[in-house]
Amino acid sequence: MRNPGGKLLLEVRGLTTSVSGVEILKGIDLAVREGEVHAIMGPNGSGKSTLAKALAGHPAYKVTGGEARLDGQDLFALAPEERARAGLFLGFQYPVEVPGVTNASFLRLAYNTVQGARGKDELDPLEFDDFVREKLKLLDINPAFLDRSVNDGFSGGEKKRNEILQMALLEPRLAVLDETDSGLDIDALRVVANGVNSLHAPDRAIVLVTHYQRLLNYITPDYVHVMAGGRIIKTGDKSLALELESRGYDWLLESGRAVAA
Amino acid sequence: MSNTALQNLIDQPYKHGFVTDIESETTPKGLSEETIRLISRKKNEPEWLLEFRLTAYRHWLTMAEPKWPNVTYPKIDFQDISYYSAPKPKKKLASMDDVDPELRRTFEKLGVPLHEQKVLAGVAVDVIFDSVSVTTTYKKKLAEVGVIFCSISEAVHDHPDLVRRYLGSVVPTSDNFYAALNSAVFTDGSFCYIPKGVHCPMELSTYFRINTQDSGQFERTLIVAEEGSHVSYLEGCTAPQFDTNQLHAAVVELVALDNAEIKYSTVQNWYAGDENGRGGIYNFVTKRGLCKGVASKISWTQVETGSAITWKYPSCVLLGDDSVGEFYSVALTNHMQQADTGTKMIHVGRNTRSRIISKGISAGKSNNSYRGLVKIGPKADRARNFSQCDSMLIGDACGAHTFPYIQVQNNGATVEHEASTSKIGEDQLFYFAQRGIGPEEAVSMIINGFVKEVFTQLPMEFAVEATKLLGLKLEGSVG
Amino acid sequence: MTESAAKSYAAALLPGTLPAGPNAWLNRLRAAALERANALAVPTTRDEDWRFTDLSPLYKTAYQPATFPTEMPREAIERLFVPEATSRLVYVDGHYVPEMSMTGDDGISVGTVVDSVRGAPGIAEGHIARLVGVEQDPFAAVNTAYLQHGAVVAVPRDHQASRPVQLLFVSTQPERASYPRVLVVVERGAELSFIEDYVSLAGGAYFVNGVTEIAVGENASVRHVRVQRDSEQSFHIATCGVSLARDARYASQNICFGARISRLSHNVRQEGEGTDCKLDGLALVAGRQLADTHSSIDHAQPNGRSRQLHKCIVDGAAHAVFNGRIVVRRGAQRTDSAQSSRNLLLTGKAHVDTKPQLEILADDVKCAHGATVGQLDPDHVFYLRSRGLSEAAARNLLTYAFAAEIVDRIPIASLRERLEELVTRRTQAKV
Repeated sequence: MRNPGGKLLLEVRGLTTSVSGVEILKGIDLAVREGEVHAIMGPNGSGKSTLAKALAGHPAYKVTGGEARLDGQDLFALAPEERARAGLFLGFQYPVEVPGVTNASFLRLAYNTVQGARGKDELDPLEFDDFVREKLKLLDINPAFLDRSVNDGFSGGEKKRNEILQMALLEPRLAVLDETDSGLDIDALRVVANGVNSLHAPDRAIVLVTHYQRLLNYITPDYVHVMAGGRIIKTGDKSLALELESRGYDWLLESGRAVAA
Repeated sequence: MSNTALQNLIDQPYKHGFVTDIESETTPKGLSEETIRLISRKKNEPEWLLEFRLTAYRHWLTMAEPKWPNVTYPKIDFQDISYYSAPKPKKKLASMDDVDPELRRTFEKLGVPLHEQKVLAGVAVDVIFDSVSVTTTYKKKLAEVGVIFCSISEAVHDHPDLVRRYLGSVVPTSDNFYAALNSAVFTDGSFCYIPKGVHCPMELSTYFRINTQDSGQFERTLIVAEEGSHVSYLEGCTAPQFDTNQLHAAVVELVALDNAEIKYSTVQNWYAGDENGRGGIYNFVTKRGLCKGVASKISWTQVETGSAITWKYPSCVLLGDDSVGEFYSVALTNHMQQADTGTKMIHVGRNTRSRIISKGISAGKSNNSYRGLVKIGPKADRARNFSQCDSMLIGDACGAHTFPYIQVQNNGATVEHEASTSKIGEDQLFYFAQRGIGPEEAVSMIINGFVKEVFTQLPMEFAVEATKLLGLKLEGSVG
Repeated sequence: MTESAAKSYAAALLPGTLPAGPNAWLNRLRAAALERANALAVPTTRDEDWRFTDLSPLYKTAYQPATFPTEMPREAIERLFVPEATSRLVYVDGHYVPEMSMTGDDGISVGTVVDSVRGAPGIAEGHIARLVGVEQDPFAAVNTAYLQHGAVVAVPRDHQASRPVQLLFVSTQPERASYPRVLVVVERGAELSFIEDYVSLAGGAYFVNGVTEIAVGENASVRHVRVQRDSEQSFHIATCGVSLARDARYASQNICFGARISRLSHNVRQEGEGTDCKLDGLALVAGRQLADTHSSIDHAQPNGRSRQLHKCIVDGAAHAVFNGRIVVRRGAQRTDSAQSSRNLLLTGKAHVDTKPQLEILADDVKCAHGATVGQLDPDHVFYLRSRGLSEAAARNLLTYAFAAEIVDRIPIASLRERLEELVTRRTQAKV
């Protein structure tokens, strides 16, 4: 739901970011309040994924200006792991494979680290096992997942589901999902969308970065932002996504260029 | 996190680089028939062994250094090496307590106590200092079950028939350049003999230490496992830090008869040279096991972290039907180190099986190559091989190479090969960071996961030592 | 055969001139293909790609195109229909039979190259001969020169076709040639399952020379089942080219029972990032048959994944060939590729040549390949016999199980059941 009076969770002002010396983000302003779902769309190379990675602190993405606050805290003053512990979750487009490390031990270490940072009790392996199995049931994921190495040999769909599982465990304040819907058949997309919907709560927010409008048939965003050339060139509601579906991006890009000129 | 910071995480100072100040008896540099006769005389060897050495030497003179490994180094001057160096004994050793205190301190510093009561429970140790065996622990206890464990010099005198029968039977004197050299000049090494049906009651271990700057180390190890016997053997190696290179050219021969099993584990931590590639050991080693009997098994496990250059292919000749060969390896290279290592599995008998798990980790400007041969002979019906070669790169300046050779002459064989090359770089560390896990823990988790399959093959104490060696106990070095 | 005979064989398959059709673009394409076909020599065992497959028995006869059949074996053809399909194109001896075909109202556009495809105008012109070129391949050139009523299947953007499409190619006339052609275009976000089925009704020696092209759009998904059950005297040579755009998925089962000599070249290009490709194959041959599968998976972009399992069951004095090429181009980082070739020889005279071919130019990749060649494990046979099965029954069961791993992956139930029956019949040893 749109929550104009709600608590401001993420506030981005004038964010500029470069990769290998090339400026990709050219001034992003974005405000996300508790309970809201935002979708960020845009053609290839518009800077959607760069925004997600800059917020999470990927070292190859250099923030050159502007600010970002999560719960009022300066994100750019924090190391990537501190941002995660502060409640920022990034769902990866291409999650990393870690052969030899079981999913169960990875998930437990991540969970306990983030819990510890929040001053909450850590779980021992047995307690964690009970806890994680509950979540697996909720997301309809096979428990055999836990014994496999992290993302090792996983299909595209399995990797994305593993990201959703991690999000469910870490209970972030703000989840930024970077193209979590790419490369999924319609059935797998439904599972992922259900996972996202079931984690949606009044005290959290979700930002969906997506290349394909199809995801928005399953998750209803409160705001749709269109990015092009490193800026947000239009913001609307779900109807904007539908318009993009039928008209493509070109009409927006034309008017965007007109505005810029 | 930058690659420099990542490099700091895996860099650890070499802890065994000290020199022991002990009076040594070292022969002058140079190699000739006269040097060989001198070594043989010093060791009071029988005539047949001198002949063995001279045959090898004469053959060596006709051979050329191998050029095919993927390593580069300046030409070695074989006349500029001393071929024999021994700590001068103050008197004849009557018991362990008679070992020179300076020597004993050296090995205690290295974590190899020579007092039996202090020795790691259940491990018998043969200690080789430069060219000679200093002492062997637990000899008596082993003798009770008929196991012979002693230096090869002693074995030549005490068990000449066994040594004569098996020495050179797996690695012939003419096998290759360094094996021939070793056969000509080897000074000491370990000998193990496990009689029929005996399950060796403790781990056997040899600890090698090079101390002298200009001496080469040429040890020779021979292990014979009689029908139905079982032995687990470990070797460890360290050397002081010198600016020059020392040559280490060992030969290890294993013979397993019907239903026997030999498990051979190595943690090799010779001095690797400094970060600019100055100094370090040239580790040119020939290790081969012969599965002579039916259903025999030889398993090599190695953790190679040291040496400036490693050139080593522990191999199995699977002669007996149903015999099994295994090779598990972790090779870590850093700075300017070069490793060209792997294995050969030669399937001769029917229904023979082999398994190769190789994990190479390259950091700094090092080069790490896996080179392996799987050969299925025409009579090796239903032979099976599985090979897995994984490489991990840390930073962008290092190299990893894989050279798998597969020769199949029997069309009922199963040969499988898997290979991967992965990186620890900013994407991997960022993924962990985004789940709240810091870089030290991430690197440790990634490397631990990477080597796990090999480390589970090591005996417990060795696994602990090896884990430490890989720099997994990282202490606050993140920038 | 002599060099000059190899040179003129493709030309001998073709008429001197081609009758002009209604589409100028198609006429131009065909004329260019005709010119290439006349210029190219057909392969011999001196070509590395054909080392194990000697086509000289084919080259003895210059098979001429079949005419439209005078008698249509309707009932026999109807028995081959897959009931799940709501769209079906039927070809008999290479000729399109509209009255036996069906284009269901399920959002998919189905038609032929020469006719404008309803709902997808320009699709054939835009895509045909892009994925299987005529420049180097004489068989593709001959096929393209004859191109007229080739099958076109187009799925529009974000449309998930719930029912499979069946493309049925029936041969009834011996001593003739046919040139099946298939073009499948699946747009962004769409999903499709389709069956390519090649069947002989009358037996005899004939020549099938097919080309299939499949373009899978961004984030789209295609499931492809190919069944080849031509007569054991026939020749079947086909090329299937597949392109995968960003995030696209392609999964195929290729089942080969028939032909005296068959060759499938299955080439997949991963042109976008994050694609997924699965190739499963089963060749089940006996007598003096030869089944050759050449595949190539070209990872040209990062984060691609491929899985391949190819199985051969070789009976009698038959011969199976598998050559699986995997290319990981520079820059195709984090590619994850696994290939496995499993071969079962049922007699001492049966023969397999299997060759993985890996070309890896990236440095952050996972590639696995494995090959096994062997007879049934005597321990397994003994185990079943110790449970009371006769030796023949034990061998049949194990052989069937070996094949079933592939057949079970076919996503269309009725076809899967039929193929299971067929496999059972083919794997029954003569007791």
